[in-house]
Amino acid sequence: MAATQTAPVEDSIAKIGNEVAVGEDMQFQRRWWRFEKAVWVVFLLIVLLDLAGAFGRGPLAKAHANTRGGTMVVDYERIERFSTPSILTIHFGPSAVVDGRIQLWVSDSVVKELGNQRVIPEPVSSVIGNGGILYTFAATSLPDSVEFALQPSHPGIAHFELRVPGATLDAPLRDEFEAKVVVMP
Amino acid sequence: MYTIVHAIVGYFFLLLTVRVLSRRPGAQLTPFEFVIVFLIGGVIILATVGDDKSVTNCVCAILAVVLMHQFVSWLRTRYGWLQNVIDGAPVVLLAHGEWQLEGMNSTRVEDDDVMAAARTKGVMNLSGIKYAILERNGAISIIKANQKAD
Repeated sequence: MAATQTAPVEDSIAKIGNEVAVGEDMQFQRRWWRFEKAVWVVFLLIVLLDLAGAFGRGPLAKAHANTRGGTMVVDYERIERFSTPSILTIHFGPSAVVDGRIQLWVSDSVVKELGNQRVIPEPVSSVIGNGGILYTFAATSLPDSVEFALQPSHPGIAHFELRVPGATLDAPLRDEFEAKVVVMP
Repeated sequence: MYTIVHAIVGYFFLLLTVRVLSRRPGAQLTPFEFVIVFLIGGVIILATVGDDKSVTNCVCAILAVVLMHQFVSWLRTRYGWLQNVIDGAPVVLLAHGEWQLEGMNSTRVEDDDVMAAARTKGVMNLSGIKYAILERNGAISIIKANQKAD
């Protein structure tokens, strides 16, 4: 039968007033209390940055951009959050409408990385090709806009592109927009 | 995969938050502190489980948290200094009739908290306390003035 393991009791706990074993460590405590104060400052900064939208869903996160040719005005969130819904809105200018329809090419990152759930309004057709999807929308009057309901599927940095291939422009022949989106975990 | 990562991040974030919050939630839970405990727990679980309400996801989240707890417990035993970081160290609040103001202020313990602990030991006033010590678990130990050391 194995012997029970034992060890002698040592008076190893620091005492106060040389009588009560407390194990107080004021040197550690002072360092910890300094650390605590630093943590509270960091927490406060995080909350303030979040209120400003630095982590998405706030004023700093919203972006508004015009394309050079004036075919599109894009409203999007430059800082998204993982698995959280958001809307990418594209407003079209008159030059985007050709024969009563608008063609819009979006890079496949809008579907894969930014997790496009649906397109509003529903396109007349959608064709896959050239690393993206070419949507065709019926356009009867301007201003017209298209919305993409996004829900990013991965945290990280996503890069997306939008083009209006059929725009009636002199130069450039097609109007393009590209942007980077940070997806917070 | 995200559930496990979220559970691990949530575990350490909660550990840090509760540790820096103060030691009182551990022992003397007032309604004021109940609010914090329930709110933090509820918010962390939202991010951990997300939209996936499957049994698989819940089991994985629980296992991740339990394994992290075991791991941190092992670290704490293996490295003595980590015990002070994770659980805190005892702080003397009152000794020989004098408040230890640095400890009192930094731990945000009031004199009536000490008196509340003293009453449970049958001590009727503050002068009847020789030592008051804030323990790792948030409880306040009272050593009476007429109590002798061995």
